[in-house]
Amino acid sequence: MYKQQVIRRILLSFFIGLLFPFGLLAQQTLEVTAKADTSNIRIGEQVKLHLRATVPAAVFNKPEFRLLFPTVPDSLEHFEVVNRSNLDTLTQQDLKVLQQTLTVTSFDSGRWEFPPLKFEVYGANGANSIDTLFSQPLGIDVNTVAVDTTKAFKPIKTVQAVPWNIWDYWLYIAIGAAVVLIVLGLLLYFRKRPEKKPAVKLPLVTPYELAVQQLKSLKGEQLWQQGDIKQYYTRLTDILRTYFEHQFGIAALEQTSEELLNNIKPVTKLNQQRDKLRALLAIADLAKFAKLQPTADEHEDCMHKAEEILEWTRPKEEPVVPEEKPQKGA
Amino acid sequence: MENTSSDIRQLNEKIHQASAFVDLLNMELGKVIVGQRYMVERLLIGLLAQGHVLLEGVPGLAKTLSIKSLSSAINAKFSRIQFTPDLLPADVVGTMIYNQQKNEFVVRKGPIFANFILADEINRAPAKVQSALLEAMQERQITIGDNTFKLDDPFLVLATQNPIEQEGTYTLPEAQVDRFMLKVVIGYPTKEEERHIIRQNLNPEAATPIRAVIQPADIMDARKLVREVYMDEKIEKYIIDIVFATRNPEEYKLQKLKPLISYGGSPRASINLALAAKAYAFMKRRGYVIPEDVRNICFDVMRHRVGLTYEAEAENVTSENILSEILNAVEVP
Repeated sequence: MYKQQVIRRILLSFFIGLLFPFGLLAQQTLEVTAKADTSNIRIGEQVKLHLRATVPAAVFNKPEFRLLFPTVPDSLEHFEVVNRSNLDTLTQQDLKVLQQTLTVTSFDSGRWEFPPLKFEVYGANGANSIDTLFSQPLGIDVNTVAVDTTKAFKPIKTVQAVPWNIWDYWLYIAIGAAVVLIVLGLLLYFRKRPEKKPAVKLPLVTPYELAVQQLKSLKGEQLWQQGDIKQYYTRLTDILRTYFEHQFGIAALEQTSEELLNNIKPVTKLNQQRDKLRALLAIADLAKFAKLQPTADEHEDCMHKAEEILEWTRPKEEPVVPEEKPQKGA
Repeated sequence: MENTSSDIRQLNEKIHQASAFVDLLNMELGKVIVGQRYMVERLLIGLLAQGHVLLEGVPGLAKTLSIKSLSSAINAKFSRIQFTPDLLPADVVGTMIYNQQKNEFVVRKGPIFANFILADEINRAPAKVQSALLEAMQERQITIGDNTFKLDDPFLVLATQNPIEQEGTYTLPEAQVDRFMLKVVIGYPTKEEERHIIRQNLNPEAATPIRAVIQPADIMDARKLVREVYMDEKIEKYIIDIVFATRNPEEYKLQKLKPLISYGGSPRASINLALAAKAYAFMKRRGYVIPEDVRNICFDVMRHRVGLTYEAEAENVTSENILSEILNAVEVP
């Protein structure tokens, strides 16, 4: 009994051993296949056609090996090729798998056969060997849409509203929220910002005071005593013109002597000094534009006239009104 | 050489005496011209400063009478050219004519060979005629064939333009308008002046003929003196400031004028403003220029030298408006 079992095991091992080289051989052969993901489509529907070539790694790595996938035209009989994927290469143990997917459709109803596809193999069995492999033909049923003629025809449906989704508006919501946050931030910033301390107001110098100061300074510079007569009269008339501009709003710096004398007419107080001003300006113009050399007395007289004009037109000082103190018990 | 104080005093006295003829001329012209003192004054400025005058005013404002009377008062030759669309340059400057007796070409001088020319309605003639006249004005000589003739001195062109009838006219290009020292705009006389005009015209027998009070040589002497009138550097700076304000108003705090001015005054504007101010000072019997002289003459020298943009024209801004703004902004020395 035991002997028989041993013999059976030996025979089984022998047969398995005989089959092993065939299994290896089977794994070492080059195969091509074409498979459709479905064999039944409606008219115009698309079907994916997977072309696959399995190559032993040893063959694939040969330098002279080349495998050409079939060149499928855009239009075949009853079929249209919609898309072609790129060639993909996978490694499975000792095999290299090359595959490509064709998207195919048909607009003819009926059962149609997708023809065998031709794969060309170069250098698989030697440097100059050329082999041709064909995939199996594929039968695909292309069906028309079944129309139930017993039912009434219905109108075409109107445009359907897409269901509202908050994520469609996330950008707008984010921008709105950011604006609100910025505004709130600015409001908080301006509310809490420390208030600027009011600038310390320096006591203002009135045009009169300024003119008096400038005349005093002009006197101190002793320009005419040093022979700079032109500069003396330029400064003297400029002081008066600036004073008229600031005190009476007459654009005296941009007016000639004659225009100035005409434009002081509406200012009664100033107009009362018209003759003095005219005499002063006449001498000043001659000194400035005709190189006149007035006498020392005339220099002094012009300064005196300028001071008199200032004094005459000096604005009245407004009396300071003392603040009323709140009485006790009031 | 720099003028000293005593030089200017002497010059002042000299000019005070030499300019006395201005009053004589004014009196003589006043016999026939009623009003229009402004125009006569500008004509004299043009005459003394060796510049030409473009006059803009409606017809009948004594333009021809003024220049004719002025030429009579100076004992000078006067000619009037009526500019029309069919006028040819040869009609103005002259041409070569074939003399059959002598069997040669002889020069026939045109009406431009005179001391005072009235180019009436200058914008009615085509550009080639205008440029023939304007070239003569500039060069003060005429070439006919192979012969060049110097024009007589004094030579003053008074060109007129009618501001209301612009149809069928050839507007003077800016470059040519720039050759006129002054562009004077004259208006209607006052009621009182108009009454005098009526009376004078209804009784032509009573009119006194103009007599020659001075000779052209006196004008030439006066012109030399006008050039000698002292102009201080402060006045020069004032003139330059005014002209530069027309070019770069923003530098004089007049940014608002920038889009209204397409081009400002050329260096010829500065030269003419200085010359005209000197002539004005001379007429006021002074030997030195004061800012009033510059201001007084400024509009007439500058109005045709400030180009307006379309924006200014759309807003009815005139070159006078722009100049007023400039004069009110530029500081007087």
